[in-house]
Amino acid sequence: MATLELDSITKTFQDGDEEIVAVDDVSMSIDDGEFLVVVGPSGCGKSTTLRMVAGLETITAGTLSIDDRVVNDVKSQDRDIAMVFQSYALYPHMSVRQNMSFGLEESTDLPDDEINRMVSETGEMLGISNLLDRKPSDLSGGQQQRVALGRAIVRDPEVFLMDEPLSNLDAKLRAEMRTELQRLQNDLGVTTVYVTHDQTEAMTMGDRIAILDGGELQQIATPLECYHEPSNQFVASFLGEPSMNFFDVTLEDDRLVGDEFEYPIDADVRADLGDASDLVLGIRPEAVELVDEAGDHEFETTVDVVEPMGDENTVYLHFDPDAAPEHASVLVATIDGFNRVSEGDTVTARIPEDAIHLFDRSTGEALHNRSMKDAADQVDL
Amino acid sequence: MSDEELRTDGGGATADTRWNLGGVTIEDAALYLVLAFAAVFYLVPIESGLVTSFKTGTAIIETAPFAPPGPSGFTFEKWQTAIDALLRGMGNSLLYAVPATVISAVVGSITAYGLTIPTWKKSYKAVVLMLIIAGIFIPYQAVLVPLTQFWSQWAQLDQLLSFVWALGISNDYAGIVELVITHVAYGIPICTLLFRTYYKTMSEEMIESARLDGATLRRVYRRIVLPLSGPMFAVVLIYQFTQIWNDLLFTLVLVSTESSPAAPVVLILAGLGTSLEGQDFALRMAGAFFAALPTLAVYIFFGEEFAEGVAA
Repeated sequence: MATLELDSITKTFQDGDEEIVAVDDVSMSIDDGEFLVVVGPSGCGKSTTLRMVAGLETITAGTLSIDDRVVNDVKSQDRDIAMVFQSYALYPHMSVRQNMSFGLEESTDLPDDEINRMVSETGEMLGISNLLDRKPSDLSGGQQQRVALGRAIVRDPEVFLMDEPLSNLDAKLRAEMRTELQRLQNDLGVTTVYVTHDQTEAMTMGDRIAILDGGELQQIATPLECYHEPSNQFVASFLGEPSMNFFDVTLEDDRLVGDEFEYPIDADVRADLGDASDLVLGIRPEAVELVDEAGDHEFETTVDVVEPMGDENTVYLHFDPDAAPEHASVLVATIDGFNRVSEGDTVTARIPEDAIHLFDRSTGEALHNRSMKDAADQVDL
Repeated sequence: MSDEELRTDGGGATADTRWNLGGVTIEDAALYLVLAFAAVFYLVPIESGLVTSFKTGTAIIETAPFAPPGPSGFTFEKWQTAIDALLRGMGNSLLYAVPATVISAVVGSITAYGLTIPTWKKSYKAVVLMLIIAGIFIPYQAVLVPLTQFWSQWAQLDQLLSFVWALGISNDYAGIVELVITHVAYGIPICTLLFRTYYKTMSEEMIESARLDGATLRRVYRRIVLPLSGPMFAVVLIYQFTQIWNDLLFTLVLVSTESSPAAPVVLILAGLGTSLEGQDFALRMAGAFFAALPTLAVYIFFGEEFAEGVAA
């Protein structure tokens, strides 16, 4: 159990004469026992960051410390870290039991019977006791996954590193393992860094999420903070499914003027904007409401496509029914599954002012976010 | 177009263009004919050699080379003579072929491991690899003179191993030791190349996982890489053993006389059945088959792993 501190970590690769920056000045500190999910699109540097923590990549600049001990130059095997790989990376010539004891045999002086006992215990915890004498090739994907997990757990390391451990599983098993992993991590209380590209995993599993893009840390906060108070447009668009609606708007007095609509804002929101006038208006699909009355924040729209999901419908709305489909701005809204609308209907969509996000168009920086308190109030806790 | 339509179309086309004779199409028949011809073509020399080895001198003159000897011309005598003549050579050959094969395979494996798995400067790796690979392309003939010079002037095993000869072993056996070292040196490049190709395909994450599990480079080799190298060891052992066993050039240069007690089987075989009166074909054939038995045994012994290694 340990704290993990990344201080201005940078990694550059040399590609011929070109220098490629994979990870750019990333700083974060992970508390003892915390579950941190590092998420981002492919190529964002999340795996490289994890591999630097593991000691599999050298650190170009910055310091990495585990429990206040700088480990930049400490070899992988001396960092007391266990890692679960996407490919599981089991030793194919060894039985499950041998796979799990390997780490203890190599890193400790424990006697064989003690190692055996620990392996059996971990096997029991993961429900793989009956598989201990089999070879990895005789196991299903889900079972191999458990063995890979068991191999990490049995070592009782200071830090767990997981590199997309669930991405090779089918959807149902993935959901199961997600819950189980969370439970295990809670029980064991081992500091964990979990890398994924899957925003569902990020939202549901982590105590905090670190969102990376282009090698730079975009935001590190609790899942709800990231969702409701994104620090920039990238974070806002990355989290949430369907993703947030964005419209380019210009600030004129106290109105936001877009291509197809005008949106008045009150003084509080206006105050957040400062001098910026080229803005992006963001609104989450679930914040959009279909209403009957008209008003300043209500807009007449045409339903283009309806995607029924059962519990809810995703509807794609057009402001201008005559605009060519490829040019029209689309407003995506998720509404109740029983709310029957069909293609071609004219509906009034409300964009509530307390739910809008405003971003600086040139920097992507968030200028105004819906407040988490308001968001929570709406669900009547 | 639906799937079903596609299938009907394809089926119809096949039925139209092929003659069907009780389930065997004309293409099939032609294919098997060619295969049978090829099989016969390759097997006839071996079959001829085998039947010849059991023929008496008169049977060889009277019957066609590939025809069986018949009851009157049949004899085991030539095999008997061949075995008597070659048996001591067999022992001598094994004495250098086995150690040279094993040592070159092990050294090749370790070298390849060092060139693939550990992380060190790529540009250095490339240079070392290039030098090793270059060794594959040096022809035997080109090193014959330097090789004899080396063993006769620089490393005189004859004197260095005098304590061994004191035990009553003929000092001709210095030639065997020279053969072992020479073949190991010559075998390392190709062994390294084969193992390197194999190790390149090994899962990097698995090796990294072992490192994170606390294993040192040496332990990773011993517990992960070596146990997984079985199929490639089979390939290398078969290849090297056949190569070394059959090599005549180095034996001629380093051991030279078939009368020496240390004469390998290839040297004795070269002179077997030849005399001023002419060639004893039956004896030569029997000798050739007998001398080839160990290589055949190696193929059979490692066959399964060999197939796996070649596929990998």
